[in-house]
Amino acid sequence: MTLDGRVAIVTGAGQGVGRGIALALAARGARVVIAARRAETGDPVAREISERGGEAECIVTDVTRRDDVERCVDATVRRFGALHVMVHNAYAGGIAHRLEDVGAELWEQSSRTAVWGSFYCAQLAFPHLRDAGARGRLVLVTSPAGVEGSANIPLYAPVKAAQRAMSKSLAREWGRYGITVNCIAPVAETPALARAFELTPELKGRLEARTPLGRVGDAERDVGGVVAFLASDDAGYVTAQTIVCDGGSFTGL
Amino acid sequence: MTADGRELAGLAALVTGVDRPIGDGLARALADAGATVAVRGSHLDPVDNVFATARDELGADVDVVVHAALPPGAAELLAFEEVTDERWETVWERGMRTTLALLQGAFPAMRERGRGRFVFVSPTLSMSGAPGLVPLTAYVEGQRLLAKSAARQWGPYGITVNCVAPAPELAVAGTAAGAVSLAAPALGGPGDARDDLGPVVTFLASDAAHFVTGVTVCADGGVWMAP
Repeated sequence: MTLDGRVAIVTGAGQGVGRGIALALAARGARVVIAARRAETGDPVAREISERGGEAECIVTDVTRRDDVERCVDATVRRFGALHVMVHNAYAGGIAHRLEDVGAELWEQSSRTAVWGSFYCAQLAFPHLRDAGARGRLVLVTSPAGVEGSANIPLYAPVKAAQRAMSKSLAREWGRYGITVNCIAPVAETPALARAFELTPELKGRLEARTPLGRVGDAERDVGGVVAFLASDDAGYVTAQTIVCDGGSFTGL
Repeated sequence: MTADGRELAGLAALVTGVDRPIGDGLARALADAGATVAVRGSHLDPVDNVFATARDELGADVDVVVHAALPPGAAELLAFEEVTDERWETVWERGMRTTLALLQGAFPAMRERGRGRFVFVSPTLSMSGAPGLVPLTAYVEGQRLLAKSAARQWGPYGITVNCVAPAPELAVAGTAAGAVSLAAPALGGPGDARDDLGPVVTFLASDAAHFVTGVTVCADGGVWMAP
């Protein structure tokens, strides 16, 4: 499987799952734009890819702003000549809360990054994905919580679910262009998860115990590889799906 | 079931979206089952007033919320590239905020009594995907998962939160069956809100369903059979 000649944007690629996806795509030959909110996190990932012999550039992007996403897409196409793969991974708002106490701010954070971000990334990438012929790919990073709900971070579930519904509807709309639209629902080691482990030390053991493969995934190897598959020609007939890559913990699909 | 033999006797219900046939039919079904019913249309802003005024009308706090309202214009078919920020705001953002506000608005009284029922109307199109309806499917699926999260958090208070999934053409006026080509309904037709969907919602609102929460009951005549 090769991604030679492909151009990808990965949002939220300055850390965690997004970084892992960017590294995996680049390792297979894709040229990758690291769309990060801050250059301090995005630049090092682009450098890491370059040092490994790949090609990448950080473009500072706030996915909650249409003009920012537009600028990122335009700059990508100017720099690399095309856009084949859009991966929307960025998310903010994963702190524990009670539904009865949720105010406008927490809702906004979750809604803006996950759902408005998906709207902007999908819509602004669309003309280029269409031009990419049967190689156009949209991948949205969702979560098992988007299928089973969440008792700890209840608002995480609806925004991740909305992304799944968007992917199915868009797959139906864009199938005629050969564009595939899929979701992945990963569990992987990220700074956010590391913080959660710090706060609740027994969480890691609990998570590993309920995971058939017995460990928390690696963002590049375990999650990035799945996105690389979806981005490749091998997955050209896979669309409207959610691929859960969480070591087998969630079995509800 | 209480003394008069009807499943919802003595319960106060609020039904939204009665300006559309599905909301109207469900409101009548709850009344058939003995509930006292306050009705609202699709325009629920601001939700803050809804429960205060419903309490006055019903003479009691709301026991059962059936949310059948859809954001205005949500069912209009539109290619995704034509969807504007304004439309996304109307359907997704305001739709979700309204549902959240309904949950939060009914919660305090339900928690106090240790009993509450929410039933959201979630047409199957969010599970199948529907071309031309990206904002609507995002909203419906978002709401469906908000129900699951609420079910997980509020179960200890005796509050259940469930969804009923009707056929798209029953739930959303103007949605042709052809918008999503799925199987023919095993039981024929999209069904009737009052006669076919009503009993399902009545069950979910009743004491008999006290151990059922976070689920989506598909009542679409047997089209969508995925888990």
